[in-house]
Amino acid sequence: MPHDDRYSLTELADLGGVTPRTIRYYLAQGLLPAVGQSGPGAKYDEGHLARLRLIRRLQAEHLPLAEIRRRLDELSEGDIRDLAGASEPSVPGDSALEYLREVLSGPPTMKAQRFPDPRVRVPPPMRALAVSDVPVAASRYEPGSVPEFSPPGVADAPAPYASPPIVPPSFLPSMPAADPSPMERSQWDRIALSPDIELHIRRPLGRAQQKQVDRLVAIARELLEEERP
Amino acid sequence: MTVTTDTTFTVRQDRRLIRPNSHSERFLLARVAAPRATSERQRTPVNLAIVLDRSGSMSGEKLRVAKSAVEEAIARLQPDDRFSVVVYDDKIDIVIESTTASQESRRAAVDRLREIEARGSTNLGEGWLRGCEQIARHLVDGGVNRCLLLTDGLANVGITDADELAHHATELRARGVSTSTFGVGNDFDEHLLQAIADAGGGHFYYIADAPQIRDAITSEVGETLEVVARDVALEITARDDIRVEAISPYRVSGAGNRTFVHLGELVSEQVLEVVLRLSFPYGLLDRETGAIVALTDRDGVFSAIGAAPTEPVRLTWAYADDRANDAQPRDREVDRAVARLFAARARQEAVGRNRNGDFSGARHVLAATAKRIRAYASGDAELRDLVDAMVQEEQVFSAPMVEPARKSAHYAAANLLRSRDSQGRSVRRA
Repeated sequence: MPHDDRYSLTELADLGGVTPRTIRYYLAQGLLPAVGQSGPGAKYDEGHLARLRLIRRLQAEHLPLAEIRRRLDELSEGDIRDLAGASEPSVPGDSALEYLREVLSGPPTMKAQRFPDPRVRVPPPMRALAVSDVPVAASRYEPGSVPEFSPPGVADAPAPYASPPIVPPSFLPSMPAADPSPMERSQWDRIALSPDIELHIRRPLGRAQQKQVDRLVAIARELLEEERP
Repeated sequence: MTVTTDTTFTVRQDRRLIRPNSHSERFLLARVAAPRATSERQRTPVNLAIVLDRSGSMSGEKLRVAKSAVEEAIARLQPDDRFSVVVYDDKIDIVIESTTASQESRRAAVDRLREIEARGSTNLGEGWLRGCEQIARHLVDGGVNRCLLLTDGLANVGITDADELAHHATELRARGVSTSTFGVGNDFDEHLLQAIADAGGGHFYYIADAPQIRDAITSEVGETLEVVARDVALEITARDDIRVEAISPYRVSGAGNRTFVHLGELVSEQVLEVVLRLSFPYGLLDRETGAIVALTDRDGVFSAIGAAPTEPVRLTWAYADDRANDAQPRDREVDRAVARLFAARARQEAVGRNRNGDFSGARHVLAATAKRIRAYASGDAELRDLVDAMVQEEQVFSAPMVEPARKSAHYAAANLLRSRDSQGRSVRRA
């Protein structure tokens, strides 16, 4: 790292994702090494940043500060840098060959693990607010209590789309009518499109629909978030 | 405004001021130029599997050209390299098991290739995975381990789901095996092949007519022989409350307050432009916030002591009132790159809508993007030209298009998004 890569207290706090006050506390507690000059002119280096990142990671594992300090004391600067940098997604344990053997010998219906498109940042489902693991027919989340079209006698009809569609149908040109099946357990997920607008989605979705939703989210985000200069 | 470390790695900001009372979005344009490859003798060894579709539709010229392209590709390898050839229809044949590229094995390969004839349906998934398996059996640590998958049709036997195949491509990529894909003619699924190539850390090529198969394969093999940096990534460090996204279609991963944008391999003197969007939280007037963008790679080529040392670029933004925000200067280079990317994305979207018969939707997508670009184009000639071009294209996309036109339009946009030229080749330093 270049010598001039020195940070002010504020910069270090920004990059470490903590407040300046937290940094002062860590300095006082000996978690971060003291610097020669104190006060507003004090400069911190990459070593401080690496240490700060490692502290945050260990905190995320719910280790008490005393334990974190004990561990840091046992590590060299190099170790700390390596550990702080080790948060990049790691290489999987099994080899390509082992992976392929498993895939190629697997049952033909093996499903891929769902993985979100990394370009569309979908927040994790807010389970606390979702009506989870309840049969669809029994409970349907109603945004703003939209009245449901459930004439007496057809309550058990297999009609997942009987209620008014949440998105204009033109966005979803070929929505299959019976997917998911009404017997499947489902839940509502909320995707925040902007601080003020959310999209509500009943899962599970078919693959085609998931793609449409991903596209919808991407388009909606672009539409809503693009700041007009 | 422009932050330059050296010619190898630059990051530019479109604007430096942000608003305290709204979620400002600002763009970054990162430009990476790879160093020149040293002599041919020292190049990274390659381990290729070439997987050819031999289903009925490939019969005739397509298969003939593909076979001779493979012959040519093999002829360029050196004895330290490895290769294998797999052909598939509904059955998979390992025509040539992974072997070092000695003179004898190359000669034997040519004889074996000539015997291949077209037949049957398309088990693209297993054909591809078997090719990857040939590579994986002799994985060359420190080399380029890549599967080249050529098809003219849809996967219709075995694993056919695009998400599942892309998932395997991601997993294989993480384990050292990358994949590039080649789609020939009108009947393949470019979304599937693009998804496999993107997830697989390789490249996708659209080949309209059989004679171009040769160029595409030659170009891809040539590039694998010129790789100078592997697993290149942008590492963006910013506060947790600043959201970082890649507008360019690269895989993004996050760890704490760092975001990695995975650029894959770079070939000799390759130039790559990456556009990022940062969304800022509310903030206090006059306060500054910042980010650091660094370039990393697996072999340390771009590290402080590597062949092309680069330093992290530090950027700051300041919260300022609306008047100052409205009056601030813009870096037009960034604006143009951002506009080109959004235009390319709109065109891809329009192609998809056109294919589904949603002609007004296709027109709307282009019009909306053109309108947004016009809003900040003001006097910039290049931006205005782009807007004019998009307005013209509204006519084209809002009437039924023939499939080659759709595929060409999609491919042109795909290449632009990934800093590749119209033939799908890397852009090199002038």
